[in-house]
Amino acid sequence: MSDTPARAALIASLVDNTAPVRRVHPAEGAALIALATLAAALGMIALFDFWRGIISGEASPFFWITNGLLLLLGAASTAALVAGALPRVGARPNAPAWTLAMLGVLPLAALIQIAKAPDIHVHTGLADPHSWHCLWSALGAAVVVGAAAVLFLRHGAPVAISRQAWLTGLAAGSLGSLAFGMTCPLDGIAHLGIWHVAPVPLAALAARLIVPPLIRW
Amino acid sequence: MLADEPTLARLMHAMQQGDKAAANVLLSESGLWLERYFRRRVPPHHIDDLVQEVLIALHAKRATWDPSRPFLPWLAAIARYRWVDHLRRSYRQQAGELFDDSASTDSEEDVVLARVSLDRLFAHLPARQAEAIELVKIGGLSIEEASRASGQSESLIKVNIHRGLKKLAALVEKAE
Repeated sequence: MSDTPARAALIASLVDNTAPVRRVHPAEGAALIALATLAAALGMIALFDFWRGIISGEASPFFWITNGLLLLLGAASTAALVAGALPRVGARPNAPAWTLAMLGVLPLAALIQIAKAPDIHVHTGLADPHSWHCLWSALGAAVVVGAAAVLFLRHGAPVAISRQAWLTGLAAGSLGSLAFGMTCPLDGIAHLGIWHVAPVPLAALAARLIVPPLIRW
Repeated sequence: MLADEPTLARLMHAMQQGDKAAANVLLSESGLWLERYFRRRVPPHHIDDLVQEVLIALHAKRATWDPSRPFLPWLAAIARYRWVDHLRRSYRQQAGELFDDSASTDSEEDVVLARVSLDRLFAHLPARQAEAIELVKIGGLSIEEASRASGQSESLIKVNIHRGLKKLAALVEKAE
């Protein structure tokens, strides 16, 4: 089969509409997501005040471990997401899965702490309003990051829609929780390991449902 | 003879910069390459439609090609994306027909399409799902006739066809 008349007409029309284009760069997507994270963090700080314990040295090691792992997961998910915005075939990076597994140690440690030493953790119950505040605020920040990711993906041409939706949720959830984490003075493992990690799977599930129709092309 | 990878990459680079002559050659050559790509994947009468869909996508998304990478894998990724989309549309259409109880009135064209699209993937399905799809979607039997022929209940035939087609679409989507 060679060019059919219909195809020849289509090619003529496409050629007629050919103009210079500005290339889509994955680095620009990463920068956009980083800026959205910064904006979300500044928004959270404006609303809830920066926790000065972070710079005074008061923050516990759990604070640094939790937020460090959230940052790693956010970076790995963002890198995979922006790479997947361009059509390509072949192996895909699995760093997000490994960093998610690393983050998964925290809720496990938190549950063991709560079960075995409940007296030393004051903010662990489901009825604790501070914890719900952390969860909802982190998810609010995740919406900002997720919107930036979707904006970039719509600009690109993702060919693995489900994977990109999961990655959007992982990046948004982890970076959103990190952004809110700058304001939260509760730095015990029982609080951080549950309430600051929970936004990640919740955002991932929400993104898996919401994002595909937004990025399909 | 089809253009080679370095030539196609040069043409694509020129097209990104607005070169209409390069765009004309690239789109024509890509059309030929895509014909070969789809020849082993879809029935002959669907090839031209899919080729045109991919050419439109190539043109619309030309900003997403990175000149430091080869061109053909980029084009193959778009072609595969459009092919999966085509299969998904076929699956939805067939699933809709199934639950409208109109499977027995499938045209010959639909039956041929189902065989070409699904035959190669049948090995991945449980035997009863493959049997249900084979009898109804390819053999052209009604749900009742397939139920009698296979010994599966009518509900099971419907469920097995639904699950089988869904699994096939998922298999194709996951495949590299």
